[in-house]
Amino acid sequence: MSKVLLAGVALLLTCAFASAEPLAPAELKTLLARIREKRSAAPQVQASFQEEKNIHLLNKPISSSGKVWFQAPNKFRREVMGNSPSVTVGDGQQLWIYYPNFKSAEHYSLGKRSPLDAGIAALTAGLNLENVESTYHLSASQKEKGYVLDLAPRNPSMKRFLQSFKVELNDSLQVERTEMRQPNGNRIVTVYSNETRAPIPSATFEFTPPAGTEITTPLGR
Amino acid sequence: MRISDTIAYLVTRRRGAMWMAIGALTAASLVVLVTRMRLDTEVLNLLPKGFESVEGLKVYNRDFAQVRELTFALRCAPEDADKLEEFAPLFAQRLREQPWCTRVLAGAPIETPDGIRDLQSIALPLLLNLEPQAFDQTIAILEPTRIRDRLHRLHQEIEAGSPRPEMELSLDPLGVIGPALKPFAENASIQEEQPLASSDRTMRVFLVVTNQPTIGAFDCQRLMEKVKAFRQTATAGWEGGKLEVLVTGRSAYVAEISLSMRHDIVITLLGSILLVGGVFYAGFRRWLPLLGMGFSLLLCCLIALAAGLLIFGELNMVTVGFCAILIGLGVDFAILVFGRYQQTRDDGLNYEEAVRDAVSNLGRAIFFGALTTAVGFLALLLARSGGFTQLGVLIAIGISFAGVLMLTVFFLFLPRRAPLFRHDWIFSTVKSYVSWTVRNPTPMLWIATPLLLALTALALSPRPRLLFDVSTHSMEPKSSDAGYALQTIMAKMPTRWEPVIGIVRAQNPQELHDAWQKIAAHWSELQAAGKIKSFSTPAALALSPARLTSNRLRLQAIDFNAARQALQTSLVSEGFSPATFAPAFTLLDQLQRAPDPAAPIPDWRTQLAPSSSWWFLVDRYFAHDPLLTTGFVTTNAPVETQDQKQMLRNELPVAEIPMSLSGWSFTLTDLVPWSRHQLIFISTLMAIFDASLLAFLYRDWRLWLIQLATLALAIGAMIASMKLLHIPLNLLNVLAFRLVLAIGVDYGIYVLLVWQRATKLEHDVAGVVKPVLLAGLTAICGFGSLGFANNPTLSGLGVACAIGLSWSLAATLFFTLPAAAAVEPKIWREEEVSSRRSS
Repeated sequence: MSKVLLAGVALLLTCAFASAEPLAPAELKTLLARIREKRSAAPQVQASFQEEKNIHLLNKPISSSGKVWFQAPNKFRREVMGNSPSVTVGDGQQLWIYYPNFKSAEHYSLGKRSPLDAGIAALTAGLNLENVESTYHLSASQKEKGYVLDLAPRNPSMKRFLQSFKVELNDSLQVERTEMRQPNGNRIVTVYSNETRAPIPSATFEFTPPAGTEITTPLGR
Repeated sequence: MRISDTIAYLVTRRRGAMWMAIGALTAASLVVLVTRMRLDTEVLNLLPKGFESVEGLKVYNRDFAQVRELTFALRCAPEDADKLEEFAPLFAQRLREQPWCTRVLAGAPIETPDGIRDLQSIALPLLLNLEPQAFDQTIAILEPTRIRDRLHRLHQEIEAGSPRPEMELSLDPLGVIGPALKPFAENASIQEEQPLASSDRTMRVFLVVTNQPTIGAFDCQRLMEKVKAFRQTATAGWEGGKLEVLVTGRSAYVAEISLSMRHDIVITLLGSILLVGGVFYAGFRRWLPLLGMGFSLLLCCLIALAAGLLIFGELNMVTVGFCAILIGLGVDFAILVFGRYQQTRDDGLNYEEAVRDAVSNLGRAIFFGALTTAVGFLALLLARSGGFTQLGVLIAIGISFAGVLMLTVFFLFLPRRAPLFRHDWIFSTVKSYVSWTVRNPTPMLWIATPLLLALTALALSPRPRLLFDVSTHSMEPKSSDAGYALQTIMAKMPTRWEPVIGIVRAQNPQELHDAWQKIAAHWSELQAAGKIKSFSTPAALALSPARLTSNRLRLQAIDFNAARQALQTSLVSEGFSPATFAPAFTLLDQLQRAPDPAAPIPDWRTQLAPSSSWWFLVDRYFAHDPLLTTGFVTTNAPVETQDQKQMLRNELPVAEIPMSLSGWSFTLTDLVPWSRHQLIFISTLMAIFDASLLAFLYRDWRLWLIQLATLALAIGAMIASMKLLHIPLNLLNVLAFRLVLAIGVDYGIYVLLVWQRATKLEHDVAGVVKPVLLAGLTAICGFGSLGFANNPTLSGLGVACAIGLSWSLAATLFFTLPAAAAVEPKIWREEEVSSRRSS
């Protein structure tokens, strides 16, 4: 019996190692080149997502779902559905977060090296793996059907916002799942589905607050 | 007995008594020097007194903690920007570990947990200081329904993905700190325009407050020694390319300036002695007279320094240049006296007769020469600048003593048996020139007059413009590390220009509060009207005792138990972590206790930790005396014109609130009229004095006119040269014009006085032109040696004077002499000097 158990454990371990085999530097380079090639062929992507956030301010995790659009290098739109809906639109210079329930919007200026820039960079990192190696220390492993990229931020401003970032890709190099850990204890897991690379209208990345919206600038700029 | 007889008697027959008197004078001066020597390194003392802006700068420099602030900067190559970002916290930590460091600002305080905690600690007094309407709105947040609504909304915003709730809750879990800090945050906004990292990330700035005991020169030097040692090791662990560590700040400047004073004293004095001695020796080829001249001049310097210390108690840095100037000026007398003495000896007179002759013939010229120079320098008193007042008085004393000593002590060094001059090529050349120009003055006048007139026309012409530099850079020491650091930081960082500061001193906290409330409201209107770009005041931190009392009473209406209950239930229902809200319960407890008159409201100054980065902001506004405060106004453009200054002077003050406006740019602009007044009015006064004196001296309107024309042409040529050589005038080297008038006039006096009385032209005129030439050259060397000084004031003054004196000398030789010969012709008669020498 014990032999059978030992053999079973050994088999499981073998499978486990087989499912997360670290990539050699040359293989990682090849993988990144493939990702780059795919992204350059179609620099836009849209997908549905399911997200679970463990926020240190709250006792229980928050679940949400929605859709995300991204166009390289820095345009994105993120719509959260459900009881607390929101629309987040960024074009590299400005970031709007609109709350339909409150008829209010927050406006942030990007590109001023604020912590928010690091946050946005992390938020879109899963979709924008272009030059990812210049911003993050990178390691990768191969799983049964795809790859796992482990990203650790290089510069301190990013480190203040992000502790680690894991991106899981399928065989077609589509993002399946991301896991973000922050220094304050927050952990955010996002699962993507229905990824397409069809062209996205430019209006998607524009945002004008509806009439009567209360606009605030929390960072004062 | 005539004075010349008395002097001749004393130097020939009472030499022992003379030496004893010299010894006593020297000993007394040395005692004063050793026991009372104190140096004033304050650059502001060079600026004139009586200006509110100057006094404001002095108050700001003396009473505010920013004077102990050093700015460090790290600069790397673009490819090392990431490494610099990583290295910066390590460097900041090393700074904090230095024993001379009190606190360090390496990033925005609000972005650090300590910075947030510090803000929470001062929230209560700032909350109670809110104006009644704002206070009522803020404490309304403590109503149970408002607490519940707020937390529900924050929860929903978190769910929606907003980063704002997290930011808000980390600072203000109860919701009342934000409104309490709003006035303070508005003040802090001016800091956003002065970031601590350059946009290209190749430079990081660190502000450091030091614990140096005083801001005196020696303490600054000691501090900078330690900073220098720190810089040697501060970059250990850096793995990138070249990393520059820059340091600037008041202490860095004071240390450099005070150290450069020593350099300036040595370099200008040595330069002056070498150049002047060289000219003297070239002219006369005698060692003993050179020694006598040097001794007499050093004695003049010693006496003047001792007298200066007795009069002023301390000596400003600009006065260190006086020795070089005095040597350059005093040597004139030695050259004239020795020239005449030697000529008389060559004529066959004995030692005593030669002394008598020299004193008798040149005493008057030297007296008036010393008088015009002394008056010229004493006119510096009209500048109302402490440093230049000292310089003027010291030189006036020194030049007066130089006149006396060159007519007495100098003779003690002259040998009783003087060998004849064998071959004096300078005299031969001068004689040839004098002979030529006196016989036929027209060609020289045809050359000199158009040239001098052309230069004068250029001086009067609007183009090219004479540069007038009123920037702060014009006051910085040359080749200054601190200056280089400041310029590099300014070039890299997108800084705004230096603000105008408004200084307000109140009698009590309530008065201070009321004053800043009114000022802030007024400046806000100016900003809305577009008259100023932005402003910041200490209004939020100037607490009103009356408002604190009334707001404490208002708190009695709040049901704190209900608020606490609502907070607890909301936390549970919304699923918030209790740990996040611990500060909220603490603040509720403080607010509940606040209405009790027996419970004192903590002073925010005692609540802020000494190492808190917020002190960098607070210290900008409050002096060591908390009732002495400043506000800052950023103008729409750098303050450079009188219109801007006048607009600010009219608009910024508020009725019935005494306020001093200052700031470096504002002050320098404020001083431009003073500087122009110095240039035009005082120089005119000096010219009138010269003209009156010359009229009295010559009593001949033709010679008088020639001399006035010489002075005008020399000044014109001086201005033209400065235009062509792009040498700027600054606030202080405008004083050079009056000095050139005072000194330059002497050359004409020597030549024309002798011309008037000359019977033997070769003997009398050529005999005086050579000493005048040598005297002029020595004076130019004396002032020119100041050009080597690090102190820009001294250096600028020296260069301007050297240019002016060069033209004065040239105009005297090439215009005055031929013009005098043209209007009052005399017959040249070659004398048989050689036959007399042989006899």
